Amino acid sequence: MKTQFLFPNKFKNLGWILFIPGLLLFITSSIFPIDLDKYLKIKVFAIYEDTIGQKPGFFKIIEDSFSYELLTIFIIIGGILICFSKLKNEDELITKIRYESLVWATYFNYILILFFTVFVYGMPFLTVIVYNVYTVLIFFMIRFHYMLYKLNKSSSYDE
Amino acid sequence: MTNNLKVLRAIAAVSQEELAKKIDVSRQTINAMEKGKYVPSTVLALKLARFFEKPVQEIFTLEDTD
Repeated sequence: MKTQFLFPNKFKNLGWILFIPGLLLFITSSIFPIDLDKYLKIKVFAIYEDTIGQKPGFFKIIEDSFSYELLTIFIIIGGILICFSKLKNEDELITKIRYESLVWATYFNYILILFFTVFVYGMPFLTVIVYNVYTVLIFFMIRFHYMLYKLNKSSSYDE
Repeated sequence: MTNNLKVLRAIAAVSQEELAKKIDVSRQTINAMEKGKYVPSTVLALKLARFFEKPVQEIFTLEDTD
C-alpha cells in the first residue's frame, strides 16, 4: 500500500535504539541530582544566545554543554522513527488506527496542558512544559501500540 | 455498511490468511471487515470484488444509518 510521510520498516529498530537510552537518561537525570550540563562541553554555533551573566547576541560561537541537546535529539528522532516507521504489515486498517491514535494523543496531550496551565503555578509549570516536548510522541506511541495489541488480540482466535 | 465476506470466503474455501495475501492486506483487516468493524477503501472493495468475481454491491450493502 502507498503511504505518505512514513519511514521504511527497518527504521523502527533504530528508533528504539535512540529512544530508550535517551529516555532512560532523561528520566534518571530528572529524578537524581545529576547535572548533565557539566559534561560534554563543546563549541556550538548559536543563532541566538541569552545566558545569565553574558551579553545576549546573535550568530555566535559559544562554549556550552551539549548533553541535554543530545538527549533531546535522541528522544525526538528516536520517537519519530518509532511512531512513523511503517509496520511490516502496514495496510489501510493500520493507517486508520495510526490516524485515530494520533488524534487521541493530540487531544490527550492538550487536555493535560490545559489542566496543568490552570492548576500548576510557578516553576513546576516550567517542568510541565519541558516534559511536554516529548509527550505527544510518547502518548501516541503508547496508544498506537495498545490499539494494535487490541486488534491482534481480537482477531487471534478466529480461524 | 454490512458485508457477506465470511459467506463468500466459506464458499470459495479460502482462509482469512490466504485472502489477505491475495489482496495484499493483513489478516487482521479481513477479520475486522468480517466483523463489521472496518469499512474498506474503494480500492480494497474493488480488489475483493475482483477476487470473488462479483460486483461490489453483491459483497457490500449500505444500511439505513450510512
